[in-house]
Amino acid sequence: MSSLSQTADTAATGRSQFAKRLLVFGLLPLLMIALCLILWMVEPRFVRSANLINVLRNASFLMLIASGQMMVLIIGGFDLSVGAVVALTSVVTALSMTSLMQVFPESHLLVILIGLSAGLAAGAAVGLVNGLVVALMKVNPFMVTLGTLSIASGLALYFTQGVPVYGMPDLFTRDFGRLRLLNLPIVIYVTAGVLILLWWMMNQTKFGKYIYAIGSNAHAARVSGVKITLYIVATYTACSLVAALTGVLLTARVGSGEATLGSTLMLESIAAAVIGGVSLRGGVGRIEMVALGALFLALVTNAMNLLRIDSKLQTIVIGVVIIVAVGVETLRARRASR
Amino acid sequence: MSERVTTQASDGFSLQIWMLGFFSKYGFLPVILVFLCIGFGLAEPLFMTGANALNIIEQASYLIVLATAQLFVLLTRGFDLSLGVVVSSVSVASAMVMVMVAPEGEGPVLLAVGAGILAGLALGALAGGINGVCVGFFDINPFVVTLGMQGIAFGVATTISGGFPVFGIPDALLDTFGQNAVWFGFLSPPIAVCLLVLVLSHLLLNRTVFGRSLYLLGANPRAAEVGGLPWRRYNMLAYVLCSSIAAIGAILMTARTGTGEPSTGGGLVLLSIAAAVAGGVSLRGGEGRVIHVVFGGLLVSILSVGMNLARIDSFLQQVVLGLVVVAAVFLDRLRLRIRV
Repeated sequence: MSSLSQTADTAATGRSQFAKRLLVFGLLPLLMIALCLILWMVEPRFVRSANLINVLRNASFLMLIASGQMMVLIIGGFDLSVGAVVALTSVVTALSMTSLMQVFPESHLLVILIGLSAGLAAGAAVGLVNGLVVALMKVNPFMVTLGTLSIASGLALYFTQGVPVYGMPDLFTRDFGRLRLLNLPIVIYVTAGVLILLWWMMNQTKFGKYIYAIGSNAHAARVSGVKITLYIVATYTACSLVAALTGVLLTARVGSGEATLGSTLMLESIAAAVIGGVSLRGGVGRIEMVALGALFLALVTNAMNLLRIDSKLQTIVIGVVIIVAVGVETLRARRASR
Repeated sequence: MSERVTTQASDGFSLQIWMLGFFSKYGFLPVILVFLCIGFGLAEPLFMTGANALNIIEQASYLIVLATAQLFVLLTRGFDLSLGVVVSSVSVASAMVMVMVAPEGEGPVLLAVGAGILAGLALGALAGGINGVCVGFFDINPFVVTLGMQGIAFGVATTISGGFPVFGIPDALLDTFGQNAVWFGFLSPPIAVCLLVLVLSHLLLNRTVFGRSLYLLGANPRAAEVGGLPWRRYNMLAYVLCSSIAAIGAILMTARTGTGEPSTGGGLVLLSIAAAVAGGVSLRGGEGRVIHVVFGGLLVSILSVGMNLARIDSFLQQVVLGLVVVAAVFLDRLRLRIRV
């Protein structure tokens, strides 16, 4: 009898421990495993390596942008301009490469290096402006980045007049853009590297700790002597730099500079971050969960493509998934805080 | 002699006080608007004609309706990203209902127009209701909810229309609500409807418990909760009103183009928020009046009409618009500082 109640007891504690773990990690990993299993059963093509690599590659672009977005969200800000930064970077990179090709027709490597730095610099400049205006002029980040979104995409369209820019060196579009190591696209390695770097920055350095501190309570951080302005500017610049890197990678993959590249990435990046548990009020968020959120979105899209769901219906499904995922997280947070 | 000096001094002083009061109430925007008009007028004399002024006000009235819709949720510290696609889906849905009841403009035309408008308003209220329940009762972040609704409404608009504009709307709609129609011999319908929306919104916000509660909800949600207000219901109603007013804007726009457009909405979300905030509505909630929205809407349309007349590249116009939005919000910060 006693042993029976004991087993019931351990079962109960086991269950409550399971529930506790669930509260810590959230339902996202479980949901993803379930989704993968169902897909595998319904559509065996899902587990083909070509498809899995495709999912990973699509998720990589989103992971990059979303991790930059996460930093800005954690510091209590907002970056609507990431998609426009991708477009601006793409256009500036392509235009500077094509014009330099005429000056240095021989040294493609030099052309590529200058083109890349020009693109990254243009992207980072947008972030610098965002950060300076938010930190020094104390304008609401939503409006600032809405303004720079309009400015950056306007510039990108103006430079190209809306026409894709072709004529970049083959070394960049073919050899780098389609480069594979161990059968995996180069994008995946770059993303892994950036994510590890950002994880280290957010968790092991003073920079990361201060970002969380400013996001949770800016006033307390300022009073304790944190140079808030510096960190806000640095965070916005880092976010745009990551977005610019995504722009460069996308340009290499597409093979042309396009002013419309990345237009959907802004909302998707915020969606991935929020699905990954980042609070829009600042101070809360972990990069590994954001990466999971991005992977989840890429998985859902891939699943619908495999199941041949009409692309118009897909936006409905994504919309419902975003609301439900965050709704469940909100309920979970409410339970956990009780 | 000395008496005159003091009166002069006090006159200067009272002028200063009057200006401070004016700026803290309305912001710098009215002054900027006047300067913009003078600038465009000097650059292009066509700008200062009565016909152009009427054109600007008509252009602005569509945006002002949408920005008023946005005002209701901005007051509660929320915002509605789905507004643009709700406009598209209302436009498509009401056009389809009209075409269904009176195909090719034949049949019970008035019934068709009435049914189409009702269907559009109902669809708007439904979208707003879903937004409102998720935000008000489930406490889900408004950004996420309306972002999701954006996906859903976009899917609905493109699915039911197949992605193409809906043609064949009865002429009766264009004759009643279109740009070329005239009410009572002098009123242009979009301006009249816009004024009606503005007056009703003003009364609702200032003369009802619901309206005043929205300000409290935005300024201090905790106080609204402790104060025993049915704040969850009010929060939901704000979203319902937002989408319903957006639906009115959508029907006006359908009457302007004469087609149900599944893709008009895209840029309208950010434009409606920009107009409201540039006019002086706070993104932190609890602050903003109908008159602010009018100024903001006028700013955006004066800029775009003026730049068109000055033949500025349409892509550069986008750059200018971005700069102006940031500058307007920055000046708004100064306004707050004056008040403090």
